[in-house]
Amino acid sequence: MTNSNYKLTDKDFNQINRRSLFGFQLGWNYERMQGSGYLYHILPQLRKIYGDDTPELKKMMKTHTQFFNTSNFFNTIITGIDLAVEEKEGIAGEDTVTGIKTGLMGSFAAIGDSIFASLVPAIFGAIAANMAAKGNPTGIFIWILAQLAINVFRWKQLRLAYNQGVSLVTTMQHQLSSLTDAATMMGTFMVGALVATMINVQFAWAPKIGSVPLNIQNNLDMILPKLLPALIVGAIYWMLGKKHMTSTKAIFIVLIVSVVLAALGVIAKG
Amino acid sequence: MHIAWWQILLLTLYAGYQILDELQIYSSLSAPVFAGLFAGLVMGDVKAGLIIGGSMQLTVLGVGTFGGASRIDANTGTVIAVAFSIGAGMDPQAAIAAVAVPVASLMIYMDILGRFTNTFFAHRIDAQVEKMNYKGIERYFLAGALPWALSRMIPVGLGLTLGGGFISKVVAWLNGPAKWLGDGLTVAGAVLPAVGFAILLRYLPIKKHFPYLILGFTFTMLMTVLFGSVQTLGTGLAAVSKSFTTTFNGLSMLAIAFIGFALAAMAYQRAVSAPKAAPKAEAQSNDSTEGEIEDDEL
Repeated sequence: MTNSNYKLTDKDFNQINRRSLFGFQLGWNYERMQGSGYLYHILPQLRKIYGDDTPELKKMMKTHTQFFNTSNFFNTIITGIDLAVEEKEGIAGEDTVTGIKTGLMGSFAAIGDSIFASLVPAIFGAIAANMAAKGNPTGIFIWILAQLAINVFRWKQLRLAYNQGVSLVTTMQHQLSSLTDAATMMGTFMVGALVATMINVQFAWAPKIGSVPLNIQNNLDMILPKLLPALIVGAIYWMLGKKHMTSTKAIFIVLIVSVVLAALGVIAKG
Repeated sequence: MHIAWWQILLLTLYAGYQILDELQIYSSLSAPVFAGLFAGLVMGDVKAGLIIGGSMQLTVLGVGTFGGASRIDANTGTVIAVAFSIGAGMDPQAAIAAVAVPVASLMIYMDILGRFTNTFFAHRIDAQVEKMNYKGIERYFLAGALPWALSRMIPVGLGLTLGGGFISKVVAWLNGPAKWLGDGLTVAGAVLPAVGFAILLRYLPIKKHFPYLILGFTFTMLMTVLFGSVQTLGTGLAAVSKSFTTTFNGLSMLAIAFIGFALAAMAYQRAVSAPKAAPKAEAQSNDSTEGEIEDDEL
């Protein structure tokens, strides 16, 4: 049997979505990353398409445990396109399916990671953290609501991708790149705002010129308030561009330098 | 040191849940700021929890999980720091630099261990595929949740159970003979968010968007100074005259975010309504691959 007569139903789509949202990455490992997760989240549907205990099913199960890694916010778009092919062509579509999976996973990983794993947490995390610093948890609940809204999209995209196939990716491309551009713009704006509010440190050093102590912070405030936080971020930004620098190393360098400067009385908490 | 057994139990369970949440539905219950809120609630001091959680959130603001790389585990660091800060009476700002950051970076190794252990289950799944044992495949896949959850639960449970005496000594030392270090750690806690901002700027296309960086910084800086001055004035007036009862609130970050959102929305609308020339070429190349698929079918 090469051509399957099985048609995916609403129940199937719901099951895939449930498995994707609550189980896609549990098997994540260094060897094949989300490979076993991909098999798990479409296993019941594969069994229906190819039939239990057939050599075709075994072959496809092996195909689907191969290396796979993409953004877990976009993974069901690839699933939808894949299942549309498998449902139509059965085992004959194996090469096509492998091509679709490996061809799309990289670009979706890049977009998904930068939007959902970095920008969304940055924007909502900044609002939540800013309120939290004043002892107000409201920002956390705003973030939870935003993530719930995102999960609605994660649920809907499977069906959309199944219906539209590869053409969905091309129509999405333009919108997604505009969306990424707008999101990075807002991210940049927010970082500027955060630098101005969330780094509460100032110069404590007051060298004496003759007998008059010079209040450096007061003089700086006359030029530009919050200049010190801006300089600190600029310095760390420059440091991160150095070779062999990781974010963890940078955190420790900043920690040690801050303790030393505070002990010498150069900077203090603002 | 006052951490009750049920507090340790709740925090350990949360530590296990948060990593599974982050991997799956990503409800943001796994974010450091929520970890701070939860640990604060359990320990009975929400404010201290929010301060530590909020600062850790900002410190790792730009640190995303790119391509499955391990990253500093700020959530677990927050849970342990909040518990010890409240339990042992350590200043929350100092606890960020003294406990949360070191714990968070040590946790990277637990993350690697968890991901490594899961390779074992991947091979069990291969064996079950060979046997066509569908239940077995699913069982070994779901078992992958164990290394993930345990890699967080074991350090939190053991740390909170055994670390108390040690932390109490450290706190006494930081408040006494090493006060300079305790104060220094407090300052470091205030500077650390700068790292998160700088990392984020590395990922953002700031060459293209730098005007928005300047705009966000300058506008917010002016507003903070203005709001701060008004608050100081209000406090002063209230001290002088009892009939002055108005209180002034600080600057709302949400309002700033709305301005940023409006600017981004304008740019998005412009980009979408613009004639699309570039994507067309790619659409054609995709059409041709679709054509190949149909050829195979014939």
